[in-house]
Amino acid sequence: MTMNDQQGNWAVPPGTTANQGVPYQQTNYGTPTNNNPRVFSRNDSSASNLSYGTNSNNAAPSMGIQAQQPRVSVRSSNSGNVGIIVANRAGDEETEDGRIRNREAAAKIRDAWIYKQIRARQDEFTQYKQGRIFVGTWNVNAKGKDESLSSWLCADWHQHGPPDIVVVGFQEMVDLNAVNVAVENKSQQRSQFWVDRIKSTLNSRENTMGDPTRMYTELAVKYLVGLLICVFVKAPHKPRVKHVHTSSVGVGVMGVMGNKGGASIRLQFYDSTLCFVCTHLAAHRENVAGRNADFANVFNKTSFEIGDEAVKEVIKLGSLNQWAAGTNSVGVSDHDIVFWFGDLNYRVDESIPTERVLELSEKNLLEELIENDQLNIERANGRVFQDFEEGPLTFRPTYKYQPGTDLYEQRPDKKLRAPAWCDRILWLAQEPGHVAQLNYLRSELNISDHKPVMSTFLVTIKDVILSRREEVYKEVMKLLNEFENASLPMVSLDRVKLDFGEVRYDQRVTLPITITNTGQVVAQFRLVPKLDENTLCKQWMTVTPTYGMLIPGEQTEIEFTIGIDNLTSNALNTNKEVLEDVLILRLENGRDYYISVSGSYARSCFGMSVEELVLYSDPIRNVPLDPILRAEKYDFNAKAAMCVPKELWRIVDAIYERGLDERDLFSTPGSPDEVYQIRECLDTGASFENFSVHSMTEVLISFLSNLSTPIVSASLFPTLDIDAQNIQAFARKFLEDMPPIQYNVFIYIVSFFREVLLHRQRNKLSPAKIARICCSCLVSSSQGSPDESKGNMQQLMLHFLETNSI
Amino acid sequence: MQLSNPEISGEQSVKIVLLGDSGVGKSSLALRFVTNEFRPYSESTIGASFMSKSITVPFSPSVRNDEGQGTSDSKTLESRQHQRTIGLKIWDTAGQEKYRSLAPMYYRGAEAAILVYDITVPASFVALQDWALELQHNASPELMLVICGNKSDLGECRRVDRGVGEAYAREMGAVYVETSAKDGQGVEDMFSGVAMRIPPLLGQESYLEEDMLDLRKNTRKNEGCC
Repeated sequence: MTMNDQQGNWAVPPGTTANQGVPYQQTNYGTPTNNNPRVFSRNDSSASNLSYGTNSNNAAPSMGIQAQQPRVSVRSSNSGNVGIIVANRAGDEETEDGRIRNREAAAKIRDAWIYKQIRARQDEFTQYKQGRIFVGTWNVNAKGKDESLSSWLCADWHQHGPPDIVVVGFQEMVDLNAVNVAVENKSQQRSQFWVDRIKSTLNSRENTMGDPTRMYTELAVKYLVGLLICVFVKAPHKPRVKHVHTSSVGVGVMGVMGNKGGASIRLQFYDSTLCFVCTHLAAHRENVAGRNADFANVFNKTSFEIGDEAVKEVIKLGSLNQWAAGTNSVGVSDHDIVFWFGDLNYRVDESIPTERVLELSEKNLLEELIENDQLNIERANGRVFQDFEEGPLTFRPTYKYQPGTDLYEQRPDKKLRAPAWCDRILWLAQEPGHVAQLNYLRSELNISDHKPVMSTFLVTIKDVILSRREEVYKEVMKLLNEFENASLPMVSLDRVKLDFGEVRYDQRVTLPITITNTGQVVAQFRLVPKLDENTLCKQWMTVTPTYGMLIPGEQTEIEFTIGIDNLTSNALNTNKEVLEDVLILRLENGRDYYISVSGSYARSCFGMSVEELVLYSDPIRNVPLDPILRAEKYDFNAKAAMCVPKELWRIVDAIYERGLDERDLFSTPGSPDEVYQIRECLDTGASFENFSVHSMTEVLISFLSNLSTPIVSASLFPTLDIDAQNIQAFARKFLEDMPPIQYNVFIYIVSFFREVLLHRQRNKLSPAKIARICCSCLVSSSQGSPDESKGNMQQLMLHFLETNSI
Repeated sequence: MQLSNPEISGEQSVKIVLLGDSGVGKSSLALRFVTNEFRPYSESTIGASFMSKSITVPFSPSVRNDEGQGTSDSKTLESRQHQRTIGLKIWDTAGQEKYRSLAPMYYRGAEAAILVYDITVPASFVALQDWALELQHNASPELMLVICGNKSDLGECRRVDRGVGEAYAREMGAVYVETSAKDGQGVEDMFSGVAMRIPPLLGQESYLEEDMLDLRKNTRKNEGCC
């Protein structure tokens, strides 16, 4: 965005095309600082202020030595906040497997990564605007009445127009006597005086011409004894200023009093963070180390409690030096742009005699003086104002003047002082190209022993497009979450629904599922029971394997098998069970998959009861499993359709047809395939093919054995030992107690076997053998009946086969 | 309320389960929240998927800092919040009726249940009430209940009034929200709202107190706090 979009709100120097970036070349002013590595950290400097100028490290100006030192600049000083958590072990927990985990540290490191990513991409969501900031500083020597300040504050307006932000700092607005240092009254009064003076200067009729958009609004004022700093902004920008905070630090008497120190204001202007520091450092020509120490002290102690939300916000905006949240305050270096100014009190090195300094100053021969300026020397050696920049001194030293004149103080009754550039303006920018100094001047106001100094800067201001920043943030988070969720195990299943179709009695059907590890970590899977259950699946299903492990890319098959045994078919026939289930395949530390299995039971007469079978004249496959549908089709109250199940009749009839003469009838096994086919014919009503009689007899025995309730229930078992005398009575009782349908079936079967026995010459069967067969397929075996009752039963059976008792 | 320094608040883990009829957008809500994506034609969830996302919320749910123009110190002080990071473990369940019996596996042990319905499908709101009743009977009484009317982007097809949803939520002591997984409306707020209502771990605050000696100057004591 150019300032044209802001229609006159932005102060733009005429003739400037201010698009992205700074149109002004960042001039290398040749200050020695640019050529030397600067070594500095907040922690280091606080130590060095204890030993003025004797720190051997700092005293060695040799570039060789300095280059050896780790290059720590103020630009990364604040990451120490995070270090507190990451570097200590308070949050360590030991996991079960003995590893150490520190979730706090992990979360911090994660946050840091996020902020770093966002900061690296800030150009994507930031519009850069150009604005101008005026900075003025003046040690007023406790003077000041009604002199016009225009020649100082508005000196370049004819050239650049009014700036967007005006920052003014004063030193010695009150005498630095003990009373003023201790009591605020006078300071408050004088600060109000100066603020009013500045306001009336900036907002003079001549300047504003009654246009409210040309007015300046006071943003903040902070004073400390003789120090005063105040910030004004052009009215149209006011809504885009927030998080304005002030701070002051006394470093004077006893290291804390306000006769020396700094007063600071920080704010967010659009989405750039700005910090202004006005300081009055230690006096006296020889006390260079004291000034360096004062700087470090103010630098380190100045902190603004802007609150967590504001901290987070500026971090999100990509503005903050800190790479992770975690504190509610920010320091000087945590800003995009810092202006540091005031009576820094640096003089011309003592190697140049006072008289020569005076002479050169008066003659405006500045080169030698600049070379020997203490601040330039100290900065070149990395002892103070590390990373800060200053424009070239093109004006004569600003101190010490005879008040009310434009003469350096040389009155005989006063101490002869070497003129000096006490009053300076420096800046520090996170992005070196974001500050360009338009001018660096002094005003000739003469009420004080100092001349005011001022400078106008063209600064690049960030305006974050929130929606775009949000996009970037989301992209970063998405990327991160993708990776984090990718560390969860992931598999793909080729299907999660298994339809077994029609499943038949005594048949096993297997369907596989292929499971592939598509994730990036080892995946362990296992089938788990449902909540409050303890089996993995229904009894008619078996799964192999039920657990396993796959390395990334590996795959395996899990086989799901349905097998219908008697118990199941019984449950299915009575509709107590359906062939449907959901199995839970769990990925350890990951998601659950549901595997649905289903099949339809192809009904079979096997496993049913004779009572039910006699109800239907239709093939059993056509009889619905659903009880309601079944009730619609068949009237259960009507008389049974058949005396014996038609399936039984069909088998017996077929055996008859194939002849009872076959040798080893009932002892030769049939072919399994034919047995299956015969069963299908029985269930569907299809006619028999040319099946062997042995297959038929096997089906007969199997049909009878697998009835859901046996023909002879346990209650019919003879209770006493059977002998020749009582057998007739037992037999009669046995038949009388039998329920009608069972009775029919029993008579039918016994009659059939008696017929079979008529052919015993050929088929080699004996009554005893038939009796045993009958017992095994007609009599309930579930009741663990003792051997003797089995014997009784066989005797009874033999009786029925051999006599005419039926 | 004890103000605590965010610096030393470890991540707290919270289990959230999404329940509701098939097709109301449970998976889409989770996906929107975790990856900020939306897939218009996603398959129905067969199983229960798990996703996690960490978010940072203030310790107190009460005040939200407005991003306004406030510049005064006092305002900034008021809105100062102390943060904690919460890892949301989101279980997205299958909505189909046949998987319903499996849901207790996921809502047991959860801190919050988000019951989702589709504002354009009244039947899904009826189904939601079944869920609510089931949770009332079977889930822990501490379970936080959120009733979520999803698909707010389809306002013109709305068939369940917001008031009806809100009234039901009140009756059940639940939080009511409307969301759109499609355009993202309300999704972030819903999950962070859940996170904010989760009480901080006991250890978190007492631990802080000990460590706060040199930080105390940065924090304010609330008046009237015993």
